[in-house]
Amino acid sequence: MRQSSLALNVTGLSKSFGGLHAMKSMDLQIQDGERISMIGTNGAGKSTFFNLLAGVFPATTGRIELFGEDVTTLSTAKRAKKGLARTFQTSSLFEQLTAAENVFIALGGVEFNGASLRLALPSSKNILVENRWSRVERLLERVALGDQGSTMVANLSHGEQRQLELAMALALQPKLLMLDEPAAGFSPAERAHLVKILRELPQEITLLLIEHDMDIALATANRVVVMHDGEKILEGSPQEVRSSARVREIYLGGSLDDVA
Amino acid sequence: MSTDQTTSMRRKPRLGAVLWLAFLIFAFAFPYLVDRPKFWIPNIGIKSIWLGVVAMSLVFLNRYVGLLSLAQMTIAGISAYGAGFVIVKMDGPIMMAIPIGLLVGTLAGFLIALVAVRTKAIYFLMITLAIGQVVYSFASQSIEVTNARRGLAPIKREDVGFMHFTELHIFYYVALIVAIGCYVLCRYIAATSFGLALQGIKDSPERMSALGYNVNRYRIAAMTFSSFIASVGGIIMVFDRAQVDPDVVALPATLDILIVAVVGGIGSLSGVFFGALVLTLLDNFSQNLTERYMTLTGLVFIAVLLFAPAGLAGIGKQLSALFARLKGPTIQDAAEADPPQTSPAATAEDAQETQDELSKGSQR
Repeated sequence: MRQSSLALNVTGLSKSFGGLHAMKSMDLQIQDGERISMIGTNGAGKSTFFNLLAGVFPATTGRIELFGEDVTTLSTAKRAKKGLARTFQTSSLFEQLTAAENVFIALGGVEFNGASLRLALPSSKNILVENRWSRVERLLERVALGDQGSTMVANLSHGEQRQLELAMALALQPKLLMLDEPAAGFSPAERAHLVKILRELPQEITLLLIEHDMDIALATANRVVVMHDGEKILEGSPQEVRSSARVREIYLGGSLDDVA
Repeated sequence: MSTDQTTSMRRKPRLGAVLWLAFLIFAFAFPYLVDRPKFWIPNIGIKSIWLGVVAMSLVFLNRYVGLLSLAQMTIAGISAYGAGFVIVKMDGPIMMAIPIGLLVGTLAGFLIALVAVRTKAIYFLMITLAIGQVVYSFASQSIEVTNARRGLAPIKREDVGFMHFTELHIFYYVALIVAIGCYVLCRYIAATSFGLALQGIKDSPERMSALGYNVNRYRIAAMTFSSFIASVGGIIMVFDRAQVDPDVVALPATLDILIVAVVGGIGSLSGVFFGALVLTLLDNFSQNLTERYMTLTGLVFIAVLLFAPAGLAGIGKQLSALFARLKGPTIQDAAEADPPQTSPAATAEDAQETQDELSKGSQR
């Protein structure tokens, strides 16, 4: 019973690049619908963990279970089909296409609805294509980009591009959503806006957030995982993490930009 | 500002459309404009058409999938051999030879894709080149299938029903219409959901797989489609040349396609026909000017790379940008003169990085 309510079950996960042990035997259990933030300084292993979960590169040892299924050796695409969506830290949006087309593509990955060889123009009369465009519109509205659909991605502001990232991840109707530093390079106003968007996400979406920014990390999560040197050093409620002397030491002992 | 931009964006394609219409009218009037149709139609007209179609399949892959394949001429050659085999060795009718040629070429492209999509960037280029060389050695040595160096000949055109293919004019128009059909098909595919996904894969394969796309499967499908287009070019070629021999799949032929694509504009599906026309004209008339035909072609190639990196199809845009600059530079003009392009080198590097990471990971 308990097993089935686990969204993610990671046991003994490790990753080495040559002699560099980027991740040392990580264990993490995430319940369905939980909101987890992962914080840590640069090089703490956050992104490695993220990429291991997404299947960007294979784990050296360990096991990853997604919704009770072993996905350790599955490809990125297969994991996405099991309900795992992610955003990217560095922008890798499709720059020569419009915002709406980006989301349109995102909708086509997991579902195959026979629209694939039909014209993908918003004016298409095909019912499948029309449906997809109306979903594009709803997703863009959800991330407050409703009026930017026909803007080329290259002409979107940095903040808007991050919002578009989120819309594309949501297009997968994910059960587990992983966000890689969604607030990187944001102004305070944009941060507040992002926190609002994240809090409004449906409760059934399990959220794993990697964030430099302590405020966002603590404001959106009900559990915080602190990473350091490829290891999990603390796991607890935002209050516990905030008052932890060890965390303060790592964050304040590190270089200034790590404090963010 | 936004209204300014939209009006200028609206005006441009109109000018482009006029130019293309003029080129199209020229193409249709071509057989009646030339003094010696028996020379001009096959050697310049139809040859430009099939060179263009094969190069178009290369441009499609490069522009929409981000793959630079050197196997397109090989695939066209295989389809030509397929059709030639049916006619010469099996004494089959032309109406059987054409579909079999297309099928064989497309199938060969699919098989090549199965191997080639597992590689990236320069490795993809090398493997398509290597496969081309394998096909060349087979074609020049296999007596039973390809008649080795002698090639398969004669491959005569036949009248089919009311279509008098033996008539040079008719053949030219059929080839022209087929080429336009190929262009429309490429544009159509690019505008489908499938085509959008391909462009996504070109920009960011990592993201596409994170979105649940099986990137390799899409690349294979795209290569198979482009192989079909190349095969169509191969079929036109085999009836234009009336024979098929190993030269068709040799390295110089492959390079011709690359030159046609680059001279026409590697980002332009229709520009290839400009490039093809330039190449066939050089091919046929440079002997009058110089004995060094290849040298002249090479110089033209270099000139295009230096002065019109977007190819002949991009020259109109370049000129209008130049005029605008002469009239008085504005920031907007500068931005338009230098359209944002994703640098193939950068994406290739990215792909390479991931590849390195992966191989490091699997070595452990």
